[in-house]
Amino acid sequence: MIRTTKRDYLGQSSIVKIFHWVNMISLFGMIASGLQIYNANPVFGGREGLHIPWLFTLGGWLAGGRNWHFTLMWVYGLNLLAYGIYIFWTKRWRNRFVDRQDLKSLQASTNPKRRNYAWHRIVYTSIIPILLLAIASGLSMYQPVQFYWLASLFGDWQALRTAHFMTVPLVLLFTFIHSSLALGLGNGKIATAFLNLKNIES
Amino acid sequence: MNDRESPPASNRISRRQLFQWAGAGLIVNVAGTLLYDPIGRLSMPINEALGSLLLSPNLTPEFPISAIEPDKLIVNSFRGTPEIDLASFQLKISGEVNNPISLNMTDIQKLPFNSMVIRQVCVEGWAAIVQWGGVRLRDLLILAQPKPSAKYVYFKSADGYYESWDWASSIHPQTLLAYQMNGQDLPAENGAPLRLAAPIKLGYKQSKWVTEVVVTSQLLPKRGYWEDLGYEWFGGL
Repeated sequence: MIRTTKRDYLGQSSIVKIFHWVNMISLFGMIASGLQIYNANPVFGGREGLHIPWLFTLGGWLAGGRNWHFTLMWVYGLNLLAYGIYIFWTKRWRNRFVDRQDLKSLQASTNPKRRNYAWHRIVYTSIIPILLLAIASGLSMYQPVQFYWLASLFGDWQALRTAHFMTVPLVLLFTFIHSSLALGLGNGKIATAFLNLKNIES
Repeated sequence: MNDRESPPASNRISRRQLFQWAGAGLIVNVAGTLLYDPIGRLSMPINEALGSLLLSPNLTPEFPISAIEPDKLIVNSFRGTPEIDLASFQLKISGEVNNPISLNMTDIQKLPFNSMVIRQVCVEGWAAIVQWGGVRLRDLLILAQPKPSAKYVYFKSADGYYESWDWASSIHPQTLLAYQMNGQDLPAENGAPLRLAAPIKLGYKQSKWVTEVVVTSQLLPKRGYWEDLGYEWFGGL
């Protein structure tokens, strides 16, 4: 049922695959270490609030969680910056993200494949603002005094913490929808282009 | 081709896969705990350099009196509140200074009074807006006449807590040795008679019950109670 192929579908270049996987691994490290920090004083309910089970945390205790969080932020942030430069440099932003054509086909097209593809593009475009929200809210909590102008955009401290925490369910929801679409589209050809492991054609 | 009927591999998560993921998660979790110290050694020098680079010597924006959140300030200490006899209390300033001094609270309260309403941010993630009143650490250091070699400031507390700060943060205009909180005399559990208060540092940097200020030219092996257990030394905000 599973056939291996040498060719990449959709021709994702190596550098895009590197951006994708560095982002995913560092982001999940950020989430796990962030949940470790969360446990020191839960955003919802304070010390009496619900704590995250230890299996989903990283670092063992608060200092360990912070060490991981503030190490991986460099990997995550610089990777995203490099990706940003790359998409502008190669003009990739013009045709790889959601565009008017996608919205039109969602309204008019009866081709389920085209409609699915449009949804896929909408969903993966949505990760960009989510990733930027994570950085803006994170930087605001990390340096609330030196970046007070940024921190003040989020309102009070609880609102800022909540905004930063919300990136966790948003990323998890995104990951679920995005990977389901990627695995489902064109018999998994989109996922194949990124996974580079096997062609999930049945 | 396999002739057995089975759904596409992508749509099915087997029990074995589930165990594999749980196992991988467990390994990552344990490795994360074992490796947090070397990971911190890797990034802390960079993050501390960044913190020190970002630190502005100017006044940081303050909050209106009406924004004070007395119920949000959590009392943290590592050994509870020490007994301090006010009559015999002296703040000693020594080390790399030309004029080591010892001041009682009456002397200190004669020095220019400064008040600020700032956000107190704890490493644990919570924060509270607090009014602090007291004397600028800078004014006290000027009285002691620091030598040109002065680079760090150590703080010893009555409960055994110890901290060290970089020079730029120590002479910041909003770094106070406070004896007033939210318009009242500083309560004992919040560090009376004297405690550090500053908007530019995390809470664990802001020692309570300060009894000794020692100016040094070097960072000593013991850099601070929590720092020696793993927290970042700079702790800037």
